[in-house]
Amino acid sequence: MAGERAVGLVRELRGATGGNLPPFRAEGLRQALEEMRALYERNQADVSEAKSGRTDLIFLIRFRHCCLLRNQRCILAYLYDRLLRIRALRWEYGSVLPNTIQFHMSAEEVEWFSRYKKSLATYMRSVGGEEGLDLTQDIKPPKSLYIEVRCLRDYGEFEIDDGTTVLLKKNSQHFLPRWKCEQLIRQGVLEHILL
Amino acid sequence: MAAAAAGGEGPGGDSDGGSEELVLTPAQLIRSLEQAWLNEKFAPELLESKPEIVECVVEQLDHMEANLKRAKRGDLKVSIHRMEIERIRYVLSSYLRCRLVKIEKFFPHVLEKEKSRAEGEPSILSPEEFAFAKEYMANTEIYLKNVALKHMPPNLQKVALLKSVPRPNLDSFVFLRVLERQENILVEPETDEQR
Amino acid sequence: MFISDCRREFYDVIVSQRVLLLVASDVDALCACKILQALFQCDHVQYTLVPVSGWQELETAFLEHKDQFKYFVLINCGANVDLLEILQPEEDTFFFVCDSHRPINVVNVYNDTQVKLLVKQDDDLDVPTYDDIFRDEEDEEEDSENESDGLEPSEKRRRFEEDVIERTMKRRQRREWEARRREILFDYEQYEYHGTSSAMVMFDLAWIMSKDLNDMLWWAIVGLTDQWVQDKITQMKYVTDIGILQRHVSRHNHRNEDEENSLSIDCMRIAFEYDLRLALYQHWSLYESLCNTSYTSASLKLWSVQGQKRLQEFLADMGLPLRQVKQKFNSMDMSLKENLREMIEESANKFGMKDLRIQTFSIHFGFKNKFSASDIVYATVSLMENIEKEGPETTNFIKALDSLSRGNLDKLHQGLDLAKKQLRAIQQTVASCICTNLVISQGPFLYCSLMEGTPDVKLFSKPVSLCLLSKYLLKSFVCSTKNKRCKLLPLVMAAPMDVERGTVIMVGIPPETESSDKKNFFGRAFEKAADSTNSRTLHNHFDMSIIELKTEDRSKFLDALISLLS
Repeated sequence: MAGERAVGLVRELRGATGGNLPPFRAEGLRQALEEMRALYERNQADVSEAKSGRTDLIFLIRFRHCCLLRNQRCILAYLYDRLLRIRALRWEYGSVLPNTIQFHMSAEEVEWFSRYKKSLATYMRSVGGEEGLDLTQDIKPPKSLYIEVRCLRDYGEFEIDDGTTVLLKKNSQHFLPRWKCEQLIRQGVLEHILL
Repeated sequence: MAAAAAGGEGPGGDSDGGSEELVLTPAQLIRSLEQAWLNEKFAPELLESKPEIVECVVEQLDHMEANLKRAKRGDLKVSIHRMEIERIRYVLSSYLRCRLVKIEKFFPHVLEKEKSRAEGEPSILSPEEFAFAKEYMANTEIYLKNVALKHMPPNLQKVALLKSVPRPNLDSFVFLRVLERQENILVEPETDEQR
Repeated sequence: MFISDCRREFYDVIVSQRVLLLVASDVDALCACKILQALFQCDHVQYTLVPVSGWQELETAFLEHKDQFKYFVLINCGANVDLLEILQPEEDTFFFVCDSHRPINVVNVYNDTQVKLLVKQDDDLDVPTYDDIFRDEEDEEEDSENESDGLEPSEKRRRFEEDVIERTMKRRQRREWEARRREILFDYEQYEYHGTSSAMVMFDLAWIMSKDLNDMLWWAIVGLTDQWVQDKITQMKYVTDIGILQRHVSRHNHRNEDEENSLSIDCMRIAFEYDLRLALYQHWSLYESLCNTSYTSASLKLWSVQGQKRLQEFLADMGLPLRQVKQKFNSMDMSLKENLREMIEESANKFGMKDLRIQTFSIHFGFKNKFSASDIVYATVSLMENIEKEGPETTNFIKALDSLSRGNLDKLHQGLDLAKKQLRAIQQTVASCICTNLVISQGPFLYCSLMEGTPDVKLFSKPVSLCLLSKYLLKSFVCSTKNKRCKLLPLVMAAPMDVERGTVIMVGIPPETESSDKKNFFGRAFEKAADSTNSRTLHNHFDMSIIELKTEDRSKFLDALISLLS
């Protein structure tokens, strides 16, 4: 059935809940585009036929045109939704994405991501004073200046301020300034302990 | 609000480039930031940009940081003021983030609105936000063109972003707080045609 | 050196610094750690917490962190060894040691700069005086040679003879001094024992700074109770410390007497109790608790048939029906529970158990949650030595640390369940050891070795569990044996530790007597025996009387120990 391929792409993406990014279906995309090309060519052929008298083909032409529009819509929806998920990744993981996620992105998506990163960085730098304001921090309202965190896995040395470092080993506990830990908490290295 | 005491010298609040020179105390400044933040959070569309407030708040924050650097270590006031700085920074970040989310979500409409803005009407985008929005739009358009559109049949290679990207739902319900007594505001009852 | 003003010389120094906390793996240390953490969070002191379970971990942790920290706080570790010798720190590193292990190493006592001891001065420490052990190197060679120039030969020879005599005298004096020094040090370091609980020391610090809370008081109580459960302190010290804590408890928890101002039932409150000495009885059935508490089990000799009969008589004497006694304590009839303590005490006296009640504290919060201090101790020990979970040991430490917070009741309940299993396992092992005569007298001490394949033997590969087992076994043995001499002997207990690596864990505990001063000489004895036989031993534990040993070396080690102590 025409349009199956494209709808399949959208369906798979909808199934990936929670902002997950499934692998990029390059093959599926290619097939959908191929289908569009085939439909268009058949339409082109039929249009010239219709022009020379076969008006009964008009409905078929219109039908194929609807299929083409549907395909276009599905493909664009698929690509655009993936872009939105990738955008969310910048805010969640930071500017360096884990390898597992990068494997699921196409080369062009990686390119889009890096341009988005740059654009966002320029904006953030322009906003707050000399150093800019990192908008990806302070996601939650601050409750206290320092928090107790526990290290969930070996991380290594972590710099806190003016050169002092802390060694983050699994199961060690630390009492550190909150804003320094935010990034690592999001990455799952540290766990915030409530007392 | 501790902000009044923290900054100390100088009311940091000159409005920038406005025709009225409004001198705000730090407390008033923070209050207007909070108000802008709440309005932005509750409104479905992007509201007027407030670059003066943002700039003044950033200046205020820098001021407070500088004061704290000079303060004696271990003083109780230091923790309280630092907490205040973190809170203000959170509100500011949240405000700007909220705006960025709306800009990215409705990017064609936002840019269109800005383009068709009449002279003298306040802008909804600060210059930096405008640059960011344009980059975002260009980035996305180029991506979609390279990955899908240019492989599509000739009559389908353009897509009207204004029609495809959803526009803000101006009919969604919002919360209002009445600041001053008003007369004769008519709230039209929902008719059957309105959703 | 000893710190006299805890607040000024310790807390004020570190409050503006970053600190590394090295915490040993025992309940007292965990409690002290919780109190200190609460203080640090109050004052925004940045710290890092690293659990250590032995000397090797301590050294490793120190090496890993020494570039990042200048101030180290050691809890329940470090006092009984020459710390600077072992760790070799830089000159600008400072160690604050809050440790209940005694005797405190003399180098730590007399170091003026880097080692600061947070120890209460009224602990009877008997530290040798400085001059008895340290002596400045004197120049032995007098500059008599210069003097002898310009003298006549006969005078020279006389001077020479005088010098020789002087030098011989000095050498003899020096030898005498050294012999005396060795003797003093031997006496001082021969016996290991424990001083005031570290948790109490920390609470004291909090109190001095007026930052003490009811929560911290509870942790101090649990720390003290841990020392009592593990038989580390004398009865007198325990009662004295209870008295001290009692004053604090009244101060924090007097509001309930006043009807108008009493606290909501959800608020935490601590109460003094003259409670039954039955382990976990409120979370178990009375019957199980009677069977699995060492005091009752040993006194009634519950491993024998007659013992079981005596238990029935005991219950009958109190008028407690078996059916009631065997169900969960909370479901027992209220009428029976009302005067339970007095009733049991009365009957217990008849059966030769005069100390069935003990002074302790309990904690309440909400309607359901009531725990006795010893309950918490047993639960935390079981969590810390939990063998069920794989993974690094520190995970168990973290879990046990969490269970001490009131918000983590699920972990506490898990600990209670594990504790019940542990107590049952201990009693069954004790019963089988007594019945099969596994405890043999080796002359100067009793010896018992658990074989591989004994049920629950894995539980006893952990130090605290093995110590508890040994103490209960010794108590029971003393009650069961008719040999008067054996009753006064200490016990050495061995259990397989790691089957793959072929190691055994061995502990030595002091004899069980009424007025025991709980001093343990096995630390030094083990060291000497290991040296003399070149056995492959690992003295990793902070308590010197617990060691690891290669199974093959066991017999020659024991032989050496026997001849050493005879």
